[in-house]
Amino acid sequence: MSDNRPHILLVDDERSIREPLTAYLGKNGFRISQAENAEAARIKLGAYAIDLVILDIMMPGEDGLSLCRHIRASSELPIILVTARTEDTDRIIGLEMGADDYVLKPFNPRELVARIRAVLRRAGSGDARQRPLETASYAFGEWVLKAGERTLVDREGLSVPLSTGEFNLLLALVTRPRQVLSRDQLLDLTRGREAAAFDRSIDNQVSRLRRKIEADPKDPALIKTVWGGGYALTADVTRL
Amino acid sequence: MALLMGIALFVAQAINFALLLNERQSRRFNFPVAMATTRLVDAVESMQQGRPLSTRRSDPLRSVIATEESLVESGLERQLEVESRLASALSDAGLRVRQVRAAEVPVDRERQWRDLAGSKEWSGRGPPRQLLIFSVEVARGEWLNIRWPLRPSEAGLAWRLLLQTAVIFAALLLAVLWIGRHAAKPLRNLAKATAEFGPNSSSNAVPPEGPADIQRLIATFNDMRTRLLEMLGEKDRMLGAIGHDLRTPLASLRLRAENVEDDQERERMIATVDEMSRTLEDILSLARLGRSSEPASRVDLAALVEAVVEDLRDLGHDVIHEAGSRLPASVRPVLATRAIRNLIENAVKYGGRARVRVLHWGQYAVIEVEDDGPGIPEEDIERVMDGFVRLETSRNRQTGGTGLGLTIARSVVREEGGELRLENRPEGGLKASLRLPLAGRHPAGKPLCGDTLCDNLGTPRT
Repeated sequence: MSDNRPHILLVDDERSIREPLTAYLGKNGFRISQAENAEAARIKLGAYAIDLVILDIMMPGEDGLSLCRHIRASSELPIILVTARTEDTDRIIGLEMGADDYVLKPFNPRELVARIRAVLRRAGSGDARQRPLETASYAFGEWVLKAGERTLVDREGLSVPLSTGEFNLLLALVTRPRQVLSRDQLLDLTRGREAAAFDRSIDNQVSRLRRKIEADPKDPALIKTVWGGGYALTADVTRL
Repeated sequence: MALLMGIALFVAQAINFALLLNERQSRRFNFPVAMATTRLVDAVESMQQGRPLSTRRSDPLRSVIATEESLVESGLERQLEVESRLASALSDAGLRVRQVRAAEVPVDRERQWRDLAGSKEWSGRGPPRQLLIFSVEVARGEWLNIRWPLRPSEAGLAWRLLLQTAVIFAALLLAVLWIGRHAAKPLRNLAKATAEFGPNSSSNAVPPEGPADIQRLIATFNDMRTRLLEMLGEKDRMLGAIGHDLRTPLASLRLRAENVEDDQERERMIATVDEMSRTLEDILSLARLGRSSEPASRVDLAALVEAVVEDLRDLGHDVIHEAGSRLPASVRPVLATRAIRNLIENAVKYGGRARVRVLHWGQYAVIEVEDDGPGIPEEDIERVMDGFVRLETSRNRQTGGTGLGLTIARSVVREEGGELRLENRPEGGLKASLRLPLAGRHPAGKPLCGDTLCDNLGTPRT
């Protein structure tokens, strides 16, 4: 039988995770290979055409971050990290190593499937280098958006916290400056993560974002409404 | 202390001074009384034997003078002690007289003496300013008198003594202050280190300085500090191990639950596992709180609250929010977010809906979260913020949960130097007020208002 199912390599030292996860992902239309350590993972990576790697950070011997760096050094293969720690630094380091997404243990399997699909969709669309979860900082207008820390900082160093929706929206805009983005595009670009989060309208979020970053929210200078088109960030963006 | 020492020193000097003055005073009279008494005794003897009074040529002023009235006029203040010495000298010599008088008068009253005062005869201490006048009534209307100069009283004496006192005082004060500082500086350092000691503090051991007792105290403190840090480190390692060891089986259980055929059973299992995961995370984060590595930064609190509210709304919670103006504060954003989120989630959980607003009040930001739920019985209102407390009321029984949300919120806020207050609203429902100092955590690591809340927001006690 020809197998068009995406081939996922699952790297985790815990058999109690590997086995049920393999069964669950199999039921959801993925083909799974398992590896219990980094060494086995390298062998599988050489032997099969893998589409995506799910990688546990904490493993005895060579850990997940090191393997992640190794994979990223030679390929654009999508990677989702699994971590048992909640410290924010783990997330940032993981993303700096080039991971596409991460989940916290114990994770919701349905959410994991949603993220796998989102990451694969981005990879398939050739948009893999434009990962929404970046760690770079972007300067535009009077502001700096620090994607790794998910904060927006003004010229005086005051952080202006953003909700997840606002952050995703702003990140989509600053990574595509001076491009007109339709509401559909924005919805698609910002939906990557928390799946339940975006039943609210893009317009609503744009107006909230304007209230935070525009000098005069009624006469926006940064996020312009394009008649019949959508929205565009009209400022120059410098990637720091 | 310097004041107390000064007073003690002054009293001691004053007593010394009085004793010295008294002695000087009596010595001042000794010589004149002795001389005058001798001459008077001679004169009285001569007179009683019928011999004429002889005037000393060499010393006319200090000769005995016979008069009909006493030279010691009745208005003068009489020197009773001198009189009694004169009287006893006379009676020792076997002489009987009617009356004895003695008085001290200024030189100016006696013309001859005043003229003499200018002469060079009084070199040394200078001319006398006072005279002692002795007067003996040998028979009715027959007085024998003699005047004797007094050495000038030592007027500088008082000043010299005062100066002496001041010098001793200054020298002692300097010594005491130096000793005080020498002992007090290490003690101050120790107090500072004790106040600042916390799992997050980067302060090092206190160098043992000062007197031996204090050095021992500091060494003991350093030992205790090391033991505490070891215990905290051990707690962290233990928590990390618990976290990892429990998260993996929970993840496994969560995955296996998806394979349960019966829909209802599966969803119940998933809900239970999720509840266990949340409880585990609550316990871990509460235990980790004191050692958060997150640095404080300047954050717009109004925007932070708004972001939390928006995220919760996106999750389908009913949250009403009054947008406020920009409010910069020094906080640790992840921790502050957690506290505010807990309060809002709590309000939604028990009250169905939350109303949130941010106020700027003096040196504080106040974040108020209100709900329309049943509130909390007054007697439980403090207890509900202590960890692992289950109220015997509907509030917890219906909903389950560890009830750690408020505990975490309060711990976070206290870490930030603020306070959390719960109160039942008169209209019904609960109001949680979270107060954060805008300037950030107080340097000494204490909440700005101590254990009890600042009741007067306008003038916080610092």
